[in-house]
Amino acid sequence: MYAADVGPQYEGERIRKSDFHVEFGGPDVSHKGELVTVKGLDEVEHDKIIVTGPDIKDLPEGSSNRIFIKVDVAGEVLEKDLEAVLERRVHQYINYIEGVFHMAQRYDIWIRIHKNAFKKGLNSLEEIGRILIDLFTAELPVIEKMSIEFVTDPAKVEELLAEAIKVYKERDAKVKGLREEDVEEFYGCVLCQSFAPTHVCVITPERISLCGAINWFDGRAATKVDPEGAQFAIPKGNLVDEEGIGYDTVNQVVTERSMGETTQFSLHSALSFPHTSCGCFEAIVFYIPEVDGFGIVSRDFVGSTVIGDPFSTLAGMASGGKQNEGYLGIGVQYLLSPKFLIADGGYSRVAWMTSTLKELASEEVPEDLLAKIATEKDVQNVDELTEFMQNAGRL
Amino acid sequence: MASEFMTTPYYKVNILTGTKAAKVVSEPTEAASIIDKATNPLYVFGAEVIDSPVGDRLLIDYALEIAKSRDIPICATAHVKKKMMELGVRPDSTYDIIEIVHFLKDKSWAGVRGKGFHDLVLFTGVRCDLAERGLSTLKHFAPHLKTFAICRRSHPNADFALPVIPKTEKWRVYLEGVISELGAV
Amino acid sequence: MSKGKMREEEIRRIIRADDEWEPVGPTPMPNLTDLRNWDFRLLDTYEPFYAPFCDLCCLCTYGKCDLTGDKKGACGIDIAAQQARWILICSLMGTAAHGAHGRHMIEHLIEKFGEDFKIDLGSQVNVEAPIIRTVMGLKPENLGDLRKAIEYVEREMIHLVSATHMGQEGSYRDFESKAFHAGMLDHVALEAADIAQIVGYGLPTSIADTALVDLGWGAIDVKKPTIVVVGHNAVTANAIVDYLRQHDLYDKVEVAGLCCTALDMTRYDSGAKVIGPLSRQRFFLKAGLADVVVTDEQCVVTDIPQMASEAGAAMIACSDKICYGLQEASAMAADDILKAVLEEQKQFLILDSEKAAEVIVRAALALAPTRQERKKIMTQEEAALVSAKCRGTCEACNRACPNLLPVNVAINQARQGDFAKLGSVFLRCIGCAKCEEACVNDIPIQKVMQAAAASDTYKIRAGRGPIHDVEIRKVGSPIVLGTIPGVVLFAGCSNFPGDIDDVAWLAEELARRKYIVTLSGCAAMAASMRKDEDGKTIYEKYIPEFDAGCIVNVGSCVSNAHVVGAAIKIANIFATLPNRANFELMADYILNRVGACGVVWGPYSQKALSIGTGAVRWGIPVVLGPHGSKYRRLFMSKKEASDWNVIDGRTKQVVNTEEPTPEHMMLVTETKERALVTIIKQCFRRNDTPPGRAIKLNSYISAYKQVIGGLPDDLQNFVRTEKEIPIVYKREVIAYLKEVGWKPKTVLSLPTLIGTYETKVPIEATIK
Repeated sequence: MYAADVGPQYEGERIRKSDFHVEFGGPDVSHKGELVTVKGLDEVEHDKIIVTGPDIKDLPEGSSNRIFIKVDVAGEVLEKDLEAVLERRVHQYINYIEGVFHMAQRYDIWIRIHKNAFKKGLNSLEEIGRILIDLFTAELPVIEKMSIEFVTDPAKVEELLAEAIKVYKERDAKVKGLREEDVEEFYGCVLCQSFAPTHVCVITPERISLCGAINWFDGRAATKVDPEGAQFAIPKGNLVDEEGIGYDTVNQVVTERSMGETTQFSLHSALSFPHTSCGCFEAIVFYIPEVDGFGIVSRDFVGSTVIGDPFSTLAGMASGGKQNEGYLGIGVQYLLSPKFLIADGGYSRVAWMTSTLKELASEEVPEDLLAKIATEKDVQNVDELTEFMQNAGRL
Repeated sequence: MASEFMTTPYYKVNILTGTKAAKVVSEPTEAASIIDKATNPLYVFGAEVIDSPVGDRLLIDYALEIAKSRDIPICATAHVKKKMMELGVRPDSTYDIIEIVHFLKDKSWAGVRGKGFHDLVLFTGVRCDLAERGLSTLKHFAPHLKTFAICRRSHPNADFALPVIPKTEKWRVYLEGVISELGAV
Repeated sequence: MSKGKMREEEIRRIIRADDEWEPVGPTPMPNLTDLRNWDFRLLDTYEPFYAPFCDLCCLCTYGKCDLTGDKKGACGIDIAAQQARWILICSLMGTAAHGAHGRHMIEHLIEKFGEDFKIDLGSQVNVEAPIIRTVMGLKPENLGDLRKAIEYVEREMIHLVSATHMGQEGSYRDFESKAFHAGMLDHVALEAADIAQIVGYGLPTSIADTALVDLGWGAIDVKKPTIVVVGHNAVTANAIVDYLRQHDLYDKVEVAGLCCTALDMTRYDSGAKVIGPLSRQRFFLKAGLADVVVTDEQCVVTDIPQMASEAGAAMIACSDKICYGLQEASAMAADDILKAVLEEQKQFLILDSEKAAEVIVRAALALAPTRQERKKIMTQEEAALVSAKCRGTCEACNRACPNLLPVNVAINQARQGDFAKLGSVFLRCIGCAKCEEACVNDIPIQKVMQAAAASDTYKIRAGRGPIHDVEIRKVGSPIVLGTIPGVVLFAGCSNFPGDIDDVAWLAEELARRKYIVTLSGCAAMAASMRKDEDGKTIYEKYIPEFDAGCIVNVGSCVSNAHVVGAAIKIANIFATLPNRANFELMADYILNRVGACGVVWGPYSQKALSIGTGAVRWGIPVVLGPHGSKYRRLFMSKKEASDWNVIDGRTKQVVNTEEPTPEHMMLVTETKERALVTIIKQCFRRNDTPPGRAIKLNSYISAYKQVIGGLPDDLQNFVRTEKEIPIVYKREVIAYLKEVGWKPKTVLSLPTLIGTYETKVPIEATIK
């Protein structure tokens, strides 16, 4: 069908320096990038694949080269917001190709073509473009038109990259600034009902799914692409619980989808009407009554938490799709949310977290507050934690 | 069935421990007439048909000719399908050997072409010890059909088996004999 | 016989029913009939398939009875029930072997540490014994509790053995139900035995990255005194290691093993070496490289005393299961035993493991200097010479070979100085030496193979024991959703139909498709016997975690328990279903939702049969290599024509899913190619989400195209909605489905068999 075999079984292939025929991007190349742009239906010529500059077959063996992959898509329901989601698929699908690897994203990409793939006939970027368009349109019928330009001409790469960097920045600013107040819809996910039959995940711009895999934009994309899938839109409705941050429509959907098990969600509280947890959370927030504060432990933490239980024991308490006051499963990115446990007092209520999580949180949390949160390196048990809190002037 | 038909198979592991043994079909004419009498036969190809040379051809070439002569449907077990496709033949079924035997036990099964149960099943190229087990299954649990092991190593659990044919040249002559007999009928 | 009140009370006492870790479920310590309805439900869809070995029954003096046609035995038994009876007998042999092994190990450790010795499997394993918890309802806390598990197995076995007597059970379905019971008990025994040795000997647990150890006959430095242990119970082997350590001899003596004792010994000490699987026993022992041969129990070839004697090696038996008619010498002084060993070449049975260890080590030290000449491997010149009489025409060797190998061609070419063919025959040789026995010219074929066998050293990762609770948490969701396409366990022995490295090929094909690949026993050894272009084995290449695309050696045969345990833990830890005395609930969960598949590519022993039969009762399908047809029984559906009804847990209505998943519960495949696509298919589950099924179908189609060619012609059975069609093959598959008139099927998120048959388990229990 193609010059190389294609399929997810080839994801994760590594191609060593001695094995590549040519590479594009990577640490040795100053300018590289990829950008997906949503355009109008009359602005995209479907199936057009252009290579501007030397192609794989024209480049010397063992060489490292500049590249810019410019993908334009159009479709009735496509939105600007979906660009980042689509861009990640470029990475995924290129990795589907046997003998080709793709790493990183945006201005950081790195692509290698294996010698064997080249020998088998994968000697043109056009072929990669063909595969990409086939996979994109097969998986995402909402893409009605798609064109790809592979630019290897060094000067033109530089030019396109400069433009793209502006776009990445705009996107970041938009994502970072997006609040629950700014949107009309949240997204729900019931994928995990296979094993937690009453669990419903509510995803907002300030609350990533607790598996960490689906943010608000992903949820939005998923509902557009596959309206019958496990993710669905939840109209935000009215804020009926200002303190706990609860919305009437959210509660209604949760009641329905949990078969009546849960009727009320506070979106940012671990203590009253907490969000339920399935079993795939990346971290757990747990209440420590002795210090009236929270501990937070991530899945990869080996050993016991400050209260003596390891992650696995706490996970047993939190999981199963039932509301358990004092236990909340979260995606680690939620630690960076402006609304992080805001109903319970946010970081001012966090007493203990694992050092890796604390390091992550340092991107958002003021240094002086962070210094007053203990880790496994500071304290080993609740007594020591109490003392730590007292010394920090928090008790 | 009488023990006068009892044969010692090539492989010791296939020696019959029992009372009901195959009728040995020593002559290609006899083989052809057994095939010819069947009203709804099936031919099961095992993995060895694709890598056993018989003279300067492969076993599959002969087996295909036999199948073709009477339009016998073919079940390509193991990974035989790949070679068949290369030879431009599409198998009627790709059940694996144990699966096809399982279905054959069932008289009410529609058969690979939907014409009802197969009254004669030919086997060629199935790994010998596995074939012998499958033939035992059919001997005991499929009274509605006859099995014919077209295999030079001989199979006591079949209804009809070839004698042991140690020499490849004789094997080729036997196969060609069956083909020409079928062609002549 | 239903349980009486007193027995119920007794059970409650044994499992400490008042301990409140979980409520006691409906079937604590089930007896012969407690799980019969579940078994029958499985048998309704997965009918037993019999391939009789023999037309007769020769078990009692009524007979022999001919069972062909409509004939029955004098006792009334028919051919199907007779096959099922054999299956039960063979499963019981396997269960007894593991059970007795566990009994011996546990008693030995109780002698050493006391019955209160605590079970602690480290910080990563809280659910220490998922099988014992589920089957018995007991949460074992110490060695004494593990003994209770073995006692339960023993109690049930007496009834099961009884049922095989003349004039007892008469229905094949009930024999199969009893065989399932034996298989399930086997798993209880496995788990008890392995937990006991982990805690008693401090074997690795709660770590994934265990040591890489040497494997292969070339790995043994035969210049040193060489001790070779053969079997499956490492009590004496570990005592040998202890003795060497205590006497500062460890680097001066080679300790190596064949079969699972070797694997368990490397868990105890990574300096020990693995020679290879069962198929290498005769080859290695006939080579005379061992100064002392030590036998313990299970899968030990029974002519070892003769082989040791011919090789001029000392031989000590250490198990009451294998006494070889030898004098038991535990009461003798070590010096006296040693004297008889060295001066009279006398062989002994020594049941006292510490005394045995001393004698073995001292004998090795004394014998090694005198045996250097005998350790010389046959050269090609010598091999050609001893093969001189072969003309390659009589084929007696071929006809005797149970693996159907062309021995005559290989020996005839070796005679003429070309050893290539013999080298490839060696790779497929299962080590029975029947060729030698049959040879009219008395050519020592196993020895001639020395000149052809490559002497590479391979790396195998030491067995890691239980899967960690946190690993389960990480993979639980993707397994249940189907986005990790499956968990595959390679278990069993080494009578492979093809090359010894077929298991490595299968393991790698699956690992690169992101399956979680686990291995144990002889299969784990064989999987190391293939190197890539960089000289790396799969154990060096793949991460040893229980995660997508990783490869894990759990350990010996008894460590198989941990993979079944992992499936239970997915239901228990991850989905938080209670497992205590809740067999049906766990098995139903696994059958419908955990895409696990067992593979026994070398299905030799009765132990492998009982492990496999037990797996089926748990809802885990098993794929066998061709020799598995000699087990006489398989479990297969009639594909789309069988009963695929389930209850939808959400609506509590019966739904016909119309999809045959898992398609069969035990079947044989003829070639590794067919095995690959079959394993992939056996990992499909009704609970797969559409994206998960798409990933599984992608694996299926890609593998099918690679090894069989074209699209699979049963895709219509497994594609439920268009969303499940893998994008890479979308156009092609849609065209095919259209051609065959495919119609969408229901996708359920809570499918269960509970409620489709009579059971004490309420449907609500499946939803919690």
